[in-house]
Amino acid sequence: MAQDKKPFIDKGHYTREVRPSGDGVVSVPSGESFSKVFILDTPETASLPIRSIEAGEGSKVDICIIVLPGVDADIPLDVFLDGEWAQISLSGIYLCDKKENVSFRTQVHHVKGNCISDQKFNGIASGKASASFFGRIVVAPDAQKTEAYQSNRNILLSYDAKVNTKPQLEIYADDVKCSHGATTGRLDENEQFYMRSRGIPEKEAMVLQMISFISPVIDHISDPVLKEDVSERIEKAIRGMVKYHCPR
Amino acid sequence: MANSVLLSIKDLHACIGDKEILKGIDLEIRPGEIHAVMGPNGAGKSTLSSVLAGKPQYEVTSGSITFNGKDLLEMSPEERSWAGIFMSFQYPIEIPGVSITAFMKAAIAAKRKALGLEPMKAGEFLSLLKKKMAFVQMKPEFAKREVNVGFSGGEKKRGEIFQMAMLEPLLSILDETDSGLDVDALKIVAEGVNTLHTPENAAIIITHYEKLLEYVTPDVVHVLKDGKIVATGGHEVIDTIQSKGFESF
Repeated sequence: MAQDKKPFIDKGHYTREVRPSGDGVVSVPSGESFSKVFILDTPETASLPIRSIEAGEGSKVDICIIVLPGVDADIPLDVFLDGEWAQISLSGIYLCDKKENVSFRTQVHHVKGNCISDQKFNGIASGKASASFFGRIVVAPDAQKTEAYQSNRNILLSYDAKVNTKPQLEIYADDVKCSHGATTGRLDENEQFYMRSRGIPEKEAMVLQMISFISPVIDHISDPVLKEDVSERIEKAIRGMVKYHCPR
Repeated sequence: MANSVLLSIKDLHACIGDKEILKGIDLEIRPGEIHAVMGPNGAGKSTLSSVLAGKPQYEVTSGSITFNGKDLLEMSPEERSWAGIFMSFQYPIEIPGVSITAFMKAAIAAKRKALGLEPMKAGEFLSLLKKKMAFVQMKPEFAKREVNVGFSGGEKKRGEIFQMAMLEPLLSILDETDSGLDVDALKIVAEGVNTLHTPENAAIIITHYEKLLEYVTPDVVHVLKDGKIVATGGHEVIDTIQSKGFESF
C-alpha cells in the first residue's frame, strides 16, 4: 500500500461538513467505547441502524459491517472524530452475488488532532453483482498528528461482476500519516493450480482462497464467540457463491 | 507389476501460447524406477513436469500420456493427484491465510472421498501429519504456518517433500527440487526421496545439474534438449555431462 509521504496540502477549501442529525446518530462520550458488528443478511435488514458516529475525546469505536449474499444495500456512514486521542476502526465484508447491488459510502472526518482511524473493507463480487466502495477521509487544518488508514480489496469472481472503488483523501493539516490502497483482481491461478495439484478440487481451492482473502477482516472481531459465528456464516455464504459459480 | 508400465509418454508435443516447447517426447517408466531428466536451461524440463501435472496454461498439441492404464491428458490436475501423481514445484506457491494443516486436511479429505474411502479421523490425521513432518525435519510449529509464506528456499523444498510423504504418490516428479539448496537441505530432500521410494512407485528427477544425483541414484538418465530427448542411458550419461557438458549431445 502506498504511503503518502508528501500529501498535497491545501488549506484553502476546507469547509465544515453538514452533519446528519436525528435518528441514527451515535454519540460516544469521552473515554467510552462503542463496539458493534452488523450483519446484513436479509432484504429486511439491508440498512444500518446508524447513520453517523461522533467520537469524543479518548473514545474507542469499532464497527464491523458484514453484507451477506441476497442483499441489496446502500450504506452511508459518517464518522466525526470530535475529540483528541479518539480511535476508530471501521471494517467491512461484502459478498455480492446474482444481480445484487451493494455500496459503502464512508466518510471519516478528523476534526481534532491525535486521532487514529483505520478502515479495512474486503469484498467479493460474483454473478452480475455490483459492489462499490467510496471512502472519503477529511483531515481538518487543526487535526495535526492524525493517523488515517484505508484499505479496500476486491475480488471479481465472474466476468459480469463489477467493482467500483474510489478512495478520496482531503488533507488540510500538514503533520499527518495517511495511507490508502485499493485493489481489484481475480483469484490467483497459480495458487489454484498448486492446490489442485495436491488433490484439492477446483471449487474447494476457490473456497480456501476466498476465506483467506476475507479472514483479515474477520480478525477485527474481538469477541471470540461472535467471531466463530461470523466465520461459519461467511464460509457457508462463500460455499453457496462457489457452488453455482460459472465464470461467465 | 514388475514388467508393467506406470507412465507411457508417446510423441508428446506441447506449447505455451503459440510457442512449441516439447517437440516429440517418448518416455516409459516402470514401477520401482527412478528416472533423471537433465538438460540445459530452456530445454523444456519444467514444461514436461507442468504438462504431467496438468497445468492449464500448457496445451498438448499431439501425442499421448498413459498413466497406470488411464489417459492422463483427459484428467484434471486434482484427478491426476488422486490417481497418484505428485509434482514437487520448482517454486512452491505461497498461500496466505491457509495453514499447512488446513491445506493437507483438504487434500487428504478430497483424495479419500474421490477414492471412495472413509474420511480420516482427526486424531489419525494429526499423528500422520506429525510423523511426516518429523520425517523431513520440519519443526512442529510449521503445522500452523501459512503454506510456504515466509519460508526460506530450503524450508519450501522440504515442505514439498513433506507433502509428497503425506500423499504417498505412485509417481513423484521433482522439478528442480535441488535448486537453491545447501548441502544439508539437499541431504534431507534426497533422504526423503530414497525413503519414500518403493518397488511400487517411481520418480522423475528433473534437474540441470547433477548434485542431487550424488545422493539419489537414478536407474535411467535422459538428456532433454530443445524439446526432445536426445540421449538415454545409465549413470555414464551423467559422467558425459560432467566432463563435456550438454553441448556434446
